[in-house]
Amino acid sequence: MITVASLFSVAVFAPLLGALVTGLLGRVIGDPISRIVSVGLMVVSAGCAVAALWFGLAASAQAVAVPVSTWVQAGGFHAAWTLRFDTLSASMVTMVSCVSMLIHLYSVGYMSHEKNPVHRFFAYLSLFTFAMLMLVTSDNLIQLFFGWEGVGLASYLLIGYWYDRPSAVAAAIKAFIVNRIADLFFMVGIALLFLLFGTVSYDNIFATVPEHVGASYRLFGTSFPAFEVIGVLLFIGAMGKSAQLFFHTWLPDAMEGPTPVSALIHAATMVTAGVFLLARMSPLMEFAPVAKGLVVVIGASTCFFAATVGLVQPDIKRTIAYSTCSQLGYMFVAAGFGFYQGAMFHLTTHAFFKALLFLSAGSVIHALHDEQDMFRMGGLARKLPVTCAVMWIGSLALGAIPPFAGWWSKDAIIDGAWMAGGGLGGFAWTLCTAVAFLTALYSWRLLFLVFHGRPRVPELHDHAHESGPVILLPLLVLAVGAAFGGWLLRPWYIGEHQAAFWNGSIFNAPDNHVLATLEHTQGLIALVPTILSFLGVAVAFVCYMLKPEIPAQLARSMRPLYLFLLNKWYFDELYDRLFVRPYRALARLLWHVGDETVIDGVPRGLARLTVGGSSGIVRIQTGSIAVYAFTMLIGLVVLLSTFLLVR
Amino acid sequence: MILTQIAFYLFATVLVLSAAMVVSARNPVHAVLFLILGFFNAAGLFLIAGAEFLAMILVIVYVGAVAVLFLFVVMMLDVNFTQLREGVQRYAPVGAAIGVVLLAELVFTVARWQVVPHPAPIAAGNGLPPGITNTEALGRLIYTDYVFLFQACGLVLMVAMIGAIVLTLRERPSAKRQDVSKQHARMPADTMEMMSLSLGAGTTGNHALAAGRDGFLRPHDGYGAVADEGGPGVRAPEDHEADHHHGA
Amino acid sequence: MNWTLALPEIVLSCSGLFILLFGVLQKRSEPSFACTMLTLVAFLVTGILVVVAPDGAGYHGQFVNDGFSRFMKILSLGAAGLAAILSLDYNRQEKTARFEFPVLLLFSTLGTLVMASSANLMTLYVGLELQSLAIYILCAFARDELTSAEAGLKYFVLGSLASGLLLYGISLVYGFAGTMEYAGLRQVLTGGAPLAAGLVIGLVFVIVGLAFKLSMAPFHMWTPDVYQGSPTSVTAFLAGAPKAAAFALLLRVLAQPFGHLAGQWQLLIEIVAIATMFLGSLAAIGQRDIKRLMAYSSIGHMGYAAMGIASATDAGIRGTLVYLATYLIMNAGTFGCILAMRRRGRALTRIEDLAGLGRTDPTLAVLMAVFMFSMAGVPPLAGFFGKLMVFAAAVQAGLWVLAAVGVVTSVIGLFYYWRIVKVMFLDAPVAGAFDHRAPSLSFVSAVTGVATVLFLLVLGPVTGAAQAAAAALFG
Repeated sequence: MITVASLFSVAVFAPLLGALVTGLLGRVIGDPISRIVSVGLMVVSAGCAVAALWFGLAASAQAVAVPVSTWVQAGGFHAAWTLRFDTLSASMVTMVSCVSMLIHLYSVGYMSHEKNPVHRFFAYLSLFTFAMLMLVTSDNLIQLFFGWEGVGLASYLLIGYWYDRPSAVAAAIKAFIVNRIADLFFMVGIALLFLLFGTVSYDNIFATVPEHVGASYRLFGTSFPAFEVIGVLLFIGAMGKSAQLFFHTWLPDAMEGPTPVSALIHAATMVTAGVFLLARMSPLMEFAPVAKGLVVVIGASTCFFAATVGLVQPDIKRTIAYSTCSQLGYMFVAAGFGFYQGAMFHLTTHAFFKALLFLSAGSVIHALHDEQDMFRMGGLARKLPVTCAVMWIGSLALGAIPPFAGWWSKDAIIDGAWMAGGGLGGFAWTLCTAVAFLTALYSWRLLFLVFHGRPRVPELHDHAHESGPVILLPLLVLAVGAAFGGWLLRPWYIGEHQAAFWNGSIFNAPDNHVLATLEHTQGLIALVPTILSFLGVAVAFVCYMLKPEIPAQLARSMRPLYLFLLNKWYFDELYDRLFVRPYRALARLLWHVGDETVIDGVPRGLARLTVGGSSGIVRIQTGSIAVYAFTMLIGLVVLLSTFLLVR
Repeated sequence: MILTQIAFYLFATVLVLSAAMVVSARNPVHAVLFLILGFFNAAGLFLIAGAEFLAMILVIVYVGAVAVLFLFVVMMLDVNFTQLREGVQRYAPVGAAIGVVLLAELVFTVARWQVVPHPAPIAAGNGLPPGITNTEALGRLIYTDYVFLFQACGLVLMVAMIGAIVLTLRERPSAKRQDVSKQHARMPADTMEMMSLSLGAGTTGNHALAAGRDGFLRPHDGYGAVADEGGPGVRAPEDHEADHHHGA
Repeated sequence: MNWTLALPEIVLSCSGLFILLFGVLQKRSEPSFACTMLTLVAFLVTGILVVVAPDGAGYHGQFVNDGFSRFMKILSLGAAGLAAILSLDYNRQEKTARFEFPVLLLFSTLGTLVMASSANLMTLYVGLELQSLAIYILCAFARDELTSAEAGLKYFVLGSLASGLLLYGISLVYGFAGTMEYAGLRQVLTGGAPLAAGLVIGLVFVIVGLAFKLSMAPFHMWTPDVYQGSPTSVTAFLAGAPKAAAFALLLRVLAQPFGHLAGQWQLLIEIVAIATMFLGSLAAIGQRDIKRLMAYSSIGHMGYAAMGIASATDAGIRGTLVYLATYLIMNAGTFGCILAMRRRGRALTRIEDLAGLGRTDPTLAVLMAVFMFSMAGVPPLAGFFGKLMVFAAAVQAGLWVLAAVGVVTSVIGLFYYWRIVKVMFLDAPVAGAFDHRAPSLSFVSAVTGVATVLFLLVLGPVTGAAQAAAAALFG
């Protein structure tokens, strides 16, 4: 196990080393070396992660803690730097470091046209990867929170990487603030956990979960079960990171960052943190049925909402961004039904095909010199044959066309929802199945608009060219994953080997039979999503290849609905009215009245008093001996009188 | 004893009255004269108390020296007393108020003070044999027991003297003093030179032209320089400057 | 009688007379430099004698030697020595270099030694007069300057008034207690007899008389005028040794004979200290002349130092003594910097003359900044520790108001000290660089600057000595 522990440590800390070297010494060692160091260390990290997972599985041991150092030791509060090695964390580490490594490699090509040195970019990327690895390998909630916030910080830095663009800066701030709001709930959740269990370490918490099942909080005369409260609070934190409904607004805006960043955020890191959190906290969540129900509702709603918005977006990256949002909804639905294995499975396959899609979109944008509007593209299949091919593979995976990766994971989730049954199951199944159609529709809308048909803007089309090998190599690797990942991984994640694979790192309550019943889904029901997916492809072919006037007519005839979708259900406007403006008004009030009048007023008044007193005293100092003598005598009399009176 | 009582009240009354006159007299000369009168009466009180040495010292030192010095100063200095008086009038109300309050407080507290009916003699502890004069007793005290303070007082006076000299003594370089040794050591050649003049040239003309011929004696530096040659008492060049500038 | 008790004083006065004689007889050249050097030697010898002098009381109860007197004497001698060094070049440049200057300085210092050793109200008075009279003359030393003469006269007239009040107080005390010796007074006051009102009134008068010398409000009025008008070398001395000596008197009188009346005088000292701190910090804000500013600054410092007395505890007096030690160091250094303010042979005293000093003379500017920060009480400089101790003592004694006022006025004080630093480093230079700095000034500034910065290293010994001195006072 020593080898596994050290391999695992290297996998986690190699990106940190890369971030430090490129970030602190980037100026000294120069851009080329920075790139080599950064990518090289990521390769090391990915290699070690794969090796660690392999050996770990071979040894099939229980969770192993790799102590690094003590962190906080205050009274009864202990938090240590410890790497937790179990299948959950190891599989996440492997996925994160592999995808991140490919994105690093891709960035070398993608960022080659930057005017400014890009060592800063690689430092941020590596830091981001390290923070995510820290998050997934945490052994306690405080360390998890460290990684959680580290991811938030790095995403802020990366989204705002082009700091001379006001829109990028605004998007970075928006991402950060939205995440902070969700983090506040998360922190409260951690604090409540600590109060309840007296520890923040996973092992200690999970070991004592059954003892605290009956605990409850009383607030406003009502009693709330403690686990439900904590579960909801943790889920709100997860909603922020995973951009679920109500906290999703930052995700599409995050497209302002360079495309590799979008790929990293959407595929491997950050957004998956929420799903991972629920899987990690499964021993606790299993005892919070209401919270789980909420997870299902939010997940399914997000899934549907994002898919509808994705239908009408003209921007290539935004379309894919909303698809991420939507796919995360699937994962939460699975997690909400206690089907954490399915969530993790979809998370992993999604990482491959979503990274693939984003990087291919980046390749397209790169080829068209930063053009992102799909309605100005078209017919690029001949110009960019490799990109077109890999994007097809990515879309086939995303659209859940068998036997590509997405089909395996998504169908499992939809089946799980059906088998869970009840009102909640019906609701989730209906929405998820509808979204399967929508997903295929907007995916092929994108493909047809970008790669097929006639070029809409000839001059753009003429200058397009296929990207270099540095960009294409990661695409091809990811395409392999997107094509075969589902088929290869299914037996381990949710199939026959799952119990041995997860090895107790995910907890299912005794009454939770989702996994067992998965195979018993009725044949026709199991086929419905697949059929709908094919239907979506067909509709897209009709609308965007055969009769391109249909979408325009639809948009005209159902203008309110179109605008509603185009404006993302008016969430941004709603938030502006509900939160931003009242907050600004309050801030203005506090600024003018609270700060300027009261807080500034007191010292200003004191200063005026001081200066006034000073000039008064100086005025007595006339230089006349008589005045001086009288002052002395008056002083004497005053002292004497005080003395005689007080005595 | 009754005579002593009468004398006491006489002296005391005159002392208080003359003290009042010192501060209220319009003419400063009169004020000083009242001061002298006050001193005399105080000396009388000392005599009654049996402190004949203090009485004599008061008369000799204060009347004979200090008061007379005051008188000189008052008469010789050109002080505008009406102006001073204006200042007094301006501050009179404040001064009076402070004085009254202070007096009231003192009276208020001191009034509760009772004289010990049979006071023990204060000097009893000094172990002096009885019948010794108080001059001698004072002398013994001052020069033996209180020698430290006596010497310290001497130093105070010393400092006062230094101060008087430092602040007032100015050595005037224009004053002519005779330095005999310097005068004796002087040789004619040190100061005089033989000048010869060609016909019609002035004494300030070019020496070299006329060197070696017969002529007349004159100081090296011309006639104008003689007066500037200061005596040996001149201490530092800066004093010249200061005195030329500020001199009386 | 053991006359060797007063050996340091005797030696110092004899050397004073010798130096005077030497100065008068030295006809050929100006003996000012030689006399100053001799004075320094005399200070050094006296200092050694002070250290080795035996403890005990003598001279018929007029004189006492103990740890306290030794501490204060060393402080006085040190401060006076630094002032003498500071005067060396300044007096020459100002053309007031006469040999009487060191002689008067010496006698004034002698006065401070006598004050520190007083065991009798008469000794107190004579020592005070010896010290004051010499200073009156020194203030008017630049006799051709109108301001100097005015300063001397003002100080003299007001000082006489204060002396009168002090004498009146002493006479009241003597009248009601029947003795002027501290030991005797202590016996009378602890005898259990009802306290005579006249005695405490006398005490108030004595306090007022001493408060004048300490320039504590409202008896401070002379301070700015005299500080500004006197030759700067005199101001440097005036702000140093005499303050320490006056504090020695106040401490000794209040702690020894009147120690049992602490409840009575505590309030008075508190009132005076509060008034002094406020006045010192407020009035300094509007000043343009750095000497005047230093006057108010020293007023403020006296207020802080008095906090220790007001707490009337061992720790408080120890704090006061440490405060005085640090104050004397900072004061000498600051005046060393002020004396170095010369352009084209003319001495400058306006604050705006310092503008841009950080660029024209960084060494001087840094030194000055160190002293200013130290005076403001910024850690880890010397001034911080004294402040810390007196504040802590006041808090321990439950004098919260006093401590709060101290903190508030410290903040105000920081403003005007900082203003000087700002003028030096942030303002643009208006005129050229200062003249070349005289070696004596460089020496004093550098030595005191190092002492200010590294005071932490000697904090232990100094506090230990102060503790011993305070213990001697109470024991």
